[in-house]
Amino acid sequence: MSRALTIAALIAALAPAVQAEEFTWAETTDPQTMDPHAVNSAAVLGFLNNVYEGLVRRDKDMTIEPALATAWEPIGDGEGWRFTLREGVTFHDGSAFTAEDVLFSYQRASNEASDTRSWFAPVSEVVVVDDYTVDIMTSAPNPIFPGSIANWMIMDSGWAEANNATLPDKESGNYATLNTNGTGAFRVTAREPGLRTVLEPFDGWWGEVEHNITRAELTPIQNPATAVAALLSGDVDFINPVPIQDVARLQQDDDVEVIQGIEARVIMLGFPHEADALKFSSETTDTNPFADVRVRQAVAHAINVPAILQTIMRGNAEEVAQLVSPAMQGYSPALAARPAYDPDQARALLAEAGYPDGFSFGLKCPNDRYLNDESVCQAVTGMLAQVGLRATLDAMPVQNYWPELRADNYDMYLLGWSPGTFDAEHPIRFLAATPNEEKRLGSWNFGGYSNARVDELLPQIQSELDDATRQAMLDEVAMTLQDEMAYVPMYVQPLVWGTRSNISMTQRPDNFFILRWVTVN
Amino acid sequence: MLAYIIRRMGQSALVLLIVGLVAFSMFRFVGDPIDNMLGQERTAEDIERLREQLGLDQPFAVQYFRFLEGAVQGNFGVSYRQGRPVSEILLERAPATLELAAVSGILAIVFGIALGVFTAIRRNGFTANFIMSASLIGVSLPTFLIGILLIYIFSVELGWLPSFGRGETVDIGGWSTGFLTESGLKALILPAITLGLYQMTLIMRLVRSEMLEVLRQDYIRFARARGLKDRAINFRHALKNTMVPVITVIGLQLGAIIAFAIITETVFQWPGVGLLFINAIQFVDIPVMAAYLMLISVMFVGINLIVDILYFFIDPRLRVDRAGGH
Repeated sequence: MSRALTIAALIAALAPAVQAEEFTWAETTDPQTMDPHAVNSAAVLGFLNNVYEGLVRRDKDMTIEPALATAWEPIGDGEGWRFTLREGVTFHDGSAFTAEDVLFSYQRASNEASDTRSWFAPVSEVVVVDDYTVDIMTSAPNPIFPGSIANWMIMDSGWAEANNATLPDKESGNYATLNTNGTGAFRVTAREPGLRTVLEPFDGWWGEVEHNITRAELTPIQNPATAVAALLSGDVDFINPVPIQDVARLQQDDDVEVIQGIEARVIMLGFPHEADALKFSSETTDTNPFADVRVRQAVAHAINVPAILQTIMRGNAEEVAQLVSPAMQGYSPALAARPAYDPDQARALLAEAGYPDGFSFGLKCPNDRYLNDESVCQAVTGMLAQVGLRATLDAMPVQNYWPELRADNYDMYLLGWSPGTFDAEHPIRFLAATPNEEKRLGSWNFGGYSNARVDELLPQIQSELDDATRQAMLDEVAMTLQDEMAYVPMYVQPLVWGTRSNISMTQRPDNFFILRWVTVN
Repeated sequence: MLAYIIRRMGQSALVLLIVGLVAFSMFRFVGDPIDNMLGQERTAEDIERLREQLGLDQPFAVQYFRFLEGAVQGNFGVSYRQGRPVSEILLERAPATLELAAVSGILAIVFGIALGVFTAIRRNGFTANFIMSASLIGVSLPTFLIGILLIYIFSVELGWLPSFGRGETVDIGGWSTGFLTESGLKALILPAITLGLYQMTLIMRLVRSEMLEVLRQDYIRFARARGLKDRAINFRHALKNTMVPVITVIGLQLGAIIAFAIITETVFQWPGVGLLFINAIQFVDIPVMAAYLMLISVMFVGINLIVDILYFFIDPRLRVDRAGGH
C-alpha cells in the first residue's frame, strides 16, 4: 500500500509540468498570516491584495478606483459615505458577495483583536441599506475615508462563521491564518508558512483578466545574495528587493531587468523636543540644545543629502523636504526645496544658538530596517562632525531599536515613514500631533513635538470636504514643520525590483506586488 | 554501574536546565517582538496589552518557569510569527534538516575515509599531495563562502543545479522527503557538499594520520612478509584498526552537522529547523528560539551521555577508578 502510494507520488512528481505560464517570485519576508485583519503590515497586505479585495482598490498610479463597490458618494453634509456594491461577485468558495459580508468584515476588522482597528476610528456605524448598498457613517465629515480603506479586505461571513474564524487570532492562530476565501483574482491553493505559497487564478473573478499566469508561487528568501543568484540562474522570475549594491551588476545582464521607482517612505532625522537634557553627551549634560530651532536648522544645513544619495544610494533615491513624498496626495509643491547644504551657515546658526564649538550627543540608528540605514547614519555622523556636532553613533537591529526610542534613549534618531493612506494627513497624525493616547494621536512622535496650531489644524484637515481649503491647511502645517524643523526629512527611499527580462509587470509606489498586472512573455 | 548512569543523567538534566536559563536570560537582548507583531498604527496601549498577554512583562525567570511547565507536558507554546504550535512547526521542518544532515554525513564519511586511505597509501604521490593541499580549503574557508561559491558556479554560471530550496518533495506519513523526486535530489547536492565539506576533510586527515601510524606497526610489516596482497593489508588489517578513533569523532561530529546546518540552510534557503531558528531570531520569536535551543542541547547532551556510557563499557580502568582503586 505504502509502496503503491510512493510510486504514485513519484510518478506525479516526475511527470512533466503542464505547459503553462508559471511564475515564481521571492521576497525577503514571508507574509506571516493569511488573515487580512490580523496583521497590518506591508508584507501581509501586499500579498493578500492578490487574494482578497476591498470596496475600493488602488490603480497602477495609486489612484482609488472601484473594486467591490462600483460607486460611492457622501451622505448629507458628510455624515458618512454610501457605497453601492458590485453585483454578481462570488467568493472563491462560490458563495455570493452581499452587504452582509461588508458589515461582517467591518465588525471583524474593527474589533479589538484586529490590527486594522485604527482604520475605523472615524466610523460610528455601518448600516446595511439593502443587499447591495451600505452606509458607512462617520462621527465627523471624512473626505479621505474611501482612500483610507483600500486595504480593508472583505471576508465572507458564512465561511468565517463555519470555520470558527469570526475574529482574527493573532496569538494562537485560527482557520483564517492558513486558509483564504476572498473575491480576488487569485486563490491560495497551497500554503506552507515560511516555505511557499501557491496561487492560482480564480475562474469566477468579476474583473477583466490582464495577466496570463496559470500558477504562481511565492518563496521567501532571506539571504539577499541567494535571492540575486536565484534570479540570475532563472530559478525565480522576480525578486523584491534587489540589494542596492547589486543593481549595476544586474543591469548588465541581458536576461534580467531592474525596475526602479520611488517608494512612499521618507527617511528623516528626529529630535528629543521635550527632553530637559542630552543623555549621551560628554559635556552638555544640563541642557537640550535640540530644543532650540536654530540648532535643528543647523543640522539640516550640515547634511549633504545629494552626496548621500550619490554614494550610498548610488543615485537611486530622491531628496525630499516634507514628511511625505511628492507622489502623495496633499503634498505641498511650493515647499519642495530642502535647506541648502551649507556648513558655514550651520556653524553660524550654532554660534548664534550659543554653541560656537558645537557639542557631543548620541545618534541612534537601526541597521536592518531601511535601505543602507547604518551607512546613511555613518555619513550623517561625519557631516555633522564638520560643523562641530559630534555624534556618537549607536546602530542596532530594529527589534532593539523601537524599545530604545520608546524609552527616550536617544539625542537624535533616524526614522522612516510611509503613509498608509497615501495622504499628507497621515504623518501629521502620527509624527507631528502632540502625543495623546486617548485620541490615538502622535503615537510615533517619540520626541514629543508639540505645536498648538498643528493640533488645531489636524481635525479640520481630517474633516474638510473642499479640496482647496484642505490643501491650504496641509500647506500651512508643512510650512510650520519646515520652519520649526520638527524633523529633518532627507530623502525618499528607492524601490528596486528585479525580474527576468521575459516578464512585464507594474511597480506600485507602495511596494505592493500585484500579480494580475504580470505577463510572462 | 546503575548509580553511575543515574548520576550522569542527573548531571545531563542539570546542564539542560542551565542552558535553558541562560537562553531565557539572553532573549531580552535579542530585542522586542511586540513591534513586529503590531502594525504601524499601534498605540502604547496596544503594546502594553499584548506584552501582558504574552507574559513578556514578567521577569525572565518566571517566563522560563512557564516555558518549562509547558515543555514537560510536551507543549512548547505558539510561535509569535506564525501563530501555530511550535512543536507542529518543528516537526514540519525537521525532515529537511535531518535529510540534509544524513546526506552530508554519509558524503563526509564515505569520501573522507576513501580519500584518507588513498592519501595515506600514496603518501608521496602527486594526486595525494594535491588532495591534501585542497583539503586545506575545506578546513579553512567558511561555510557561507563555500555555499555562495558553489551557487555561483553551478547555478548561475553553469545552470546545472537549483540555487535554493528543496525542490519538489513527497509527503509520506507526515515526513516530507526530497529523495524521491529528481528536483529534490538535485537540490540536495550543493547544500550537502557545503555542509559536509568540513567534516569530510576532518575525517580524511584523521584517517590519513591514523593509517600512517598503523602502517608503521610490526604486524603490518609481518603481514607483508607473509606475502599478503596490498589490498588485504590496507583494508582488512590496517583500516580496521584505524577506525576506533575515527568512529568516536564521527559520533561527535554528528551533532555538529545538525547544529552547523544553520549557516548552510540560510545560504541555500533550505527549509529546515536551522533556517527556522534564524528567522525566529530576526522576529524575536521567543517560543521557537527556546524550543530550538532546548532541542539542540538535548541532542548534544544525549550524544555525550551515550558516549560517556559507552566509555564505561569500553574502558575497564574507568570502572576501577570509580571503585576507588589506585
